[in-house]
Parts: sequence; C-alpha cells; structure tokens
Amino acid sequence: MAANKKVSSAEAPEKEQASPILIQMGIFAAILFVSSLISPLFPASFPVPTPVVGLILLYVLLATHIVKLRNVEKFGDFLISLIAFLFVPSGIQLAASLKVLQAEGVKIIIVVIIATIVMLVVIAYTTAGFIWIRKHVFHGNTDIDQ
Amino acid sequence: MISLNVAAEMAVWGKWLGDGLSKTATGASAGNAVFGIFLTLVVFLIGQWLFKISNGFFIFQPLFVGMVLGIFILFLLAKAFGTDTATFYKSAYLPGGNIIFWFLNPATIAFAIPLYRRNDIVKRFWLEIVLSLVVGLVISLFIIYEAGKLFGLSKGTLASLLPTGATTAIAMPIAAAIGGNPAITAMVCILNAVIIYALGDWLVKVFRINNDPIGAGLGLGTAGKTVGSAKALQLGSIQGSMASIAVVVISIVVDLVVPQFASLVGLR
Repeated sequence: MAANKKVSSAEAPEKEQASPILIQMGIFAAILFVSSLISPLFPASFPVPTPVVGLILLYVLLATHIVKLRNVEKFGDFLISLIAFLFVPSGIQLAASLKVLQAEGVKIIIVVIIATIVMLVVIAYTTAGFIWIRKHVFHGNTDIDQ
Repeated sequence: MISLNVAAEMAVWGKWLGDGLSKTATGASAGNAVFGIFLTLVVFLIGQWLFKISNGFFIFQPLFVGMVLGIFILFLLAKAFGTDTATFYKSAYLPGGNIIFWFLNPATIAFAIPLYRRNDIVKRFWLEIVLSLVVGLVISLFIIYEAGKLFGLSKGTLASLLPTGATTAIAMPIAAAIGGNPAITAMVCILNAVIIYALGDWLVKVFRINNDPIGAGLGLGTAGKTVGSAKALQLGSIQGSMASIAVVVISIVVDLVVPQFASLVGLR
C-alpha cells in the first residue's frame, strides 16, 4: 500500500497533491459548523439558510487563498456529482402533501410551466439589455475568451 | 429484470418493515433508517437505468423517476399496512431520507468551487450578472405571482412557488420562512428542470435567446438549474459557464429578494 502511494506520487511530481479526503471533509464540516452559528444571527424577516452562509464563506476563503482548490476540490466535486441523488428525499417528501396535489396539482403544473418560461425569457432579455448598455453607453469590452 | 429483483427484495423488506413499523409506533426502533436509504438508492438507480436504456428520454430523468416511483412504492406499502401515505412516509421513510437529505448542506457549500473556477468571468461581469439577475428576478416574480393568482392558487402554494429560481436546497428553507410548503418547492424545482430539458431547445429558438450568449447562459441557469447548465453548455462554453455562475448567484439573489417581495405583496 505505502509503496503504491510512493509510486503514484512520483509519477506526478509537478502537480500539487490533493489533500487527504478526511482533511477535505474536515474543512467542509468546519465551514458548516461556523455557518450554523452565523445563520441564526440573521433576523426572521431576512432568513439566510446555513448552506448559503457556507457557500459564501467557502467562496471568500478560496478567493483570499486561505483555502486552496486542492484542499476542497475532490470532495466538493464528488458531492456535486451526487446532487441529483441527494434531492430524491426532497422529491419523495411530497408523499406527505399528496392532498395539496389532489386539490391544486394541475393548476400548479400550468403555473410552473409559465414560471419556467418567464424566468428564462425575462432574465435572458434583461441581461441582453445590460450588456447592450455596457457596450454602447460605456463602450466596454464584452468579448470573452472561450 | 431489475424491477423483478426489486419486487422480491421489497417482499422480504416489507415483512421486516412490518416489525420495524410496529416498533416505531411504540418509539422503540431506531434501526429502520436503513429502509429510507435503501428505497432512495433503489428508485434512483432504476431511474438511472431507465434514462440509460431510453437514450436519455426527458421524462426518465433519474431524479424525476426516483421521486414518482418512491412516492408510488410508499403509497402501495401504506395501503398494504393499512395506514395513510403521509403517516407511513413519516414513520418508515423519513429517518433514512433525512440522512441523505442532510448531505445537501455540504453539497450546496461545494457550489462555491465551480463559482471560483470561473472567477475571471465573475470578476469582469459581476455588475451585469448581479443587476440582470436582480431586475430579471423581480420582473419574473411579479408575472409569476399574478399568473398564480389568476389560476386561483392558495397563498401557501404561491409562497412555495416564488423561491424556485434558487437551487432546491436554498429554495426550500426560504419557502418555509415565507409560509410555503417546502415539499411543493422541491417538486417545482424538479419540474423546472424537466420543463427546460423538454422545451429548452425550442424556447431558445422561438424567443431568439441565443442572440446574447451571456443572457442565454444566465436565463437557462436560472430556469433550469443544473439541467439548464447542461443545455447552455451545448450552445457554447460562454453560455455554459454563465449558466453555472447563474445557478449560484441567483440563489443568493433569491435569498435577498424573495422574502422582501413576499412582505410587499402581503404573503406573510
């Protein structure tokens, strides 16, 4: 086992080593713990859920280079790859609210179809408007490297 | 063949579950978290399998299949044990379901990683991204709210609909805070993705959305979440990176805007 590890690390000497997975988990746990202490400080009229605090916290830590990508990348990408599976219990949660669906199901689906199209079209056109302003009013550069 | 195995499995588990259930009723069992975890895995894997053999037919999205199949199995088992679905869900499924659900917390935090990877684009366009998402979201909220009222949706359902621009893990607690039903919110977020998967290409064409690549990315990311990001990536890499930025940023924007909007229209 130890010999194998040495070989694999010798093969890629230039690339920085990813942190051990338990350390990565520890970083996530620490951020989650701190976030769970910060989240209740927000007033009820402006709720900020714990994961949102954590998201912003990790972004700030990455942007200030306190936490490096290699410290969190492996575990983070793993979690994101599982995201659809993690949502299954939220979907099944509906089993407790079947009565609401019986009463309003069809109406909800129609409104959701409208809502989805509205969000797509309105946000796309609003953005096009702001980009147009950047280009023609402030003569800013809007090219992006592929 | 898989479904046959599952049927056999379920028969054995059902018998075991009967004992577990009666124990749960007396508050003596902590062991049946296994059932929730097992059921979640089985229905999701069936979903993945169906998605694969149907070459990615949109209605067979693993998450969607998992949700419908899971509810259906709980409904059947509840009938078999002579309780109603909601009670059975709470006593048999919830202990295990909650364990998987908990992992959405670190998974949501993990979205900071793709956001940071696109930091160059975020830095250059942050003003346009934030302005577009705030203004676009406020306009969308008014239209969605009015459409919902027009169809006579109840206050609770309306409150469940408003935060669905955000990714599900963030939309659910916001829905709860403004008097909505998080279960409906979760279903709507899933439906958003299914609709974008089914109609995305057509909508992009009809509304000429791809005229502005940044707008196309932000729109698809907001409306379709991760599925929208995949669609956007098909249009181009600018659209793709914009969509994954949008999924994260819109969630924060929803968190800032929706509770204020809800008080404004008197939902709470």
